[in-house]
Amino acid sequence: MTYIFISLAAYALIMVLFGYIGYKKTKDSSDYLLAGKEMHPIVMALSYGATFISTSAIVGFGGAAGQFGLGLIWLTALNILVGVFIAFVVFGKKTRELGHRLGTSTMPELFARRFNSGFMQGYSGLLIFVFMPIYASAVLKGIVDYVSNYTGLSFGTVLIIVSVLTAVFVVTGGLKGIMYADAFQGSLMFAGMAFLIIYTYAMLGGVTRANEALASLPTMPGVAEQTANLVKGGFAGWTSMPSTGSPVWWNIVTTLVAGVGIGALAQPQLSVKFMTVKSNRDISRAVLSGGIFILFMTGVAFTVGALSNVAFYDATGKIAIDAAGSNDGIIPVFIKEFLPDWFGGVFLIILIAAAVSTLNALVHTMGTALGRDFLRQSLKLKAETITLTRISMLIGLLLSVVLAWLSSKLDVSMAIIAIGTSMFFGLCAATFLPTYFAALYIKRFPKKAALTSMITGSVSSLFWLMFVQEKTAGSLQICKLLFNTTSIVKDTALHTLSMVDAIIVALPLSIVAAVVAGLAFAGEGEGAKLPVTSAEQAK
Amino acid sequence: MFGLPDPSIWLAYLLCIGSTVLCVVYGVLNWNRDGDK
Repeated sequence: MTYIFISLAAYALIMVLFGYIGYKKTKDSSDYLLAGKEMHPIVMALSYGATFISTSAIVGFGGAAGQFGLGLIWLTALNILVGVFIAFVVFGKKTRELGHRLGTSTMPELFARRFNSGFMQGYSGLLIFVFMPIYASAVLKGIVDYVSNYTGLSFGTVLIIVSVLTAVFVVTGGLKGIMYADAFQGSLMFAGMAFLIIYTYAMLGGVTRANEALASLPTMPGVAEQTANLVKGGFAGWTSMPSTGSPVWWNIVTTLVAGVGIGALAQPQLSVKFMTVKSNRDISRAVLSGGIFILFMTGVAFTVGALSNVAFYDATGKIAIDAAGSNDGIIPVFIKEFLPDWFGGVFLIILIAAAVSTLNALVHTMGTALGRDFLRQSLKLKAETITLTRISMLIGLLLSVVLAWLSSKLDVSMAIIAIGTSMFFGLCAATFLPTYFAALYIKRFPKKAALTSMITGSVSSLFWLMFVQEKTAGSLQICKLLFNTTSIVKDTALHTLSMVDAIIVALPLSIVAAVVAGLAFAGEGEGAKLPVTSAEQAK
Repeated sequence: MFGLPDPSIWLAYLLCIGSTVLCVVYGVLNWNRDGDK
């Protein structure tokens, strides 16, 4: 226990140092909101990666891989290909150019100035502020579960400690402090995950042997009884995809893989990072380290999550979810039981780093969404941006803490962390993605078309989450209150729809709305605000 | 491949490795290109 406190103290000290450096180097709102637009590409890549990957990815989705198997590796592939390569090359460079040209410091502001619409800034700012706490509470739950499990402190106590630390850090340091700290935390996460995969495979007798043991696990004595319910849902073993069209398949393919894989493109807390570097060369350089970082984060978490079944079965005769007691408990219990004691302490710090780096960015984004985008720019409140942002950050954090506390009361068999995360990612994709793409690439895209797409995407996504998709509608309780059922299509001919994730319905609707409205309002576009390349200028 | 019987799983691993290599190659090839009003 002593070395845990020593390493915790060292971590806290380094974080305080970064907070102080950030505080000293923050001279104006551009520093506070955009880190002065002069971040080093490796700092940017690590900050992007550490924000992208939280306890949600490691504990929540790692636990989902422990339950459902290696099919989640498709999400890792999408994370790298879409979440890094396409995000940086297709969206990142243009976002940086347009953001710097229009002098914007948040994603809602980018839309507002590009389409000259104050309403758009207020609407997207408010939407982010209201729904981001769901994601932030999932991240909080991930870290609080682990720390309270490890130290024996109660859920409530740990929740308060983590949120106070986050509040102090974000409010004082601004984005500069956050990004320096992210680079430090990202490096810690990388080293820890590299050790975890090497140790796990070595413990199980090498890559091929471990994978073969996992593949043959469903035929081992006692396993069929433990997986009977999962098999009914379409589960076909940890080294196969579930049977197509089954509930488990819909869950993995639409919610976990598509929801988060595509949703990453339109995350306001990630897109703001592109505006913190000074040239596109820095974004190209960041692609290199970003790709490797994500491979080592989710690739390791999902592989170890699935392989944990072999270790648990060899030791206890139980599969991972039964041995750990809950989906979100698989990774923490695996580390506690099978890895060296010292690594448990180190991993605790790594998870705190993963959670804090994501929470810092989320709280910063919630603060700018309410404080700057909604109150200052849309409602024209006459107060300092930094002051409004700081107050809004604390409100956003408080909302997240309350939600995290409430979510700890939900049924433990639900993958609460993974569901909360994919809910927010899917909502962002449906609301922002078509408008975001049009803002960057379609010169005369009309303002009314952008608004139509945004409203269609957000309304259809929220309707689906609250009334149709059973997993989310069941936990949000609104459908239950109004119609006394967990999904309005349950027990009807359309019952398959209750397994389909909102992004599969709302994103296409949002794209169709953008295309139809784009054609209908053609000619009303303002094309002057698209980034002009230096080559075009020279002509 | 590597003890994984189902092609849909090792293809996912191959795509992960391939995408990472793509990121690395892109970063190296564009290391000094595009170096702002």
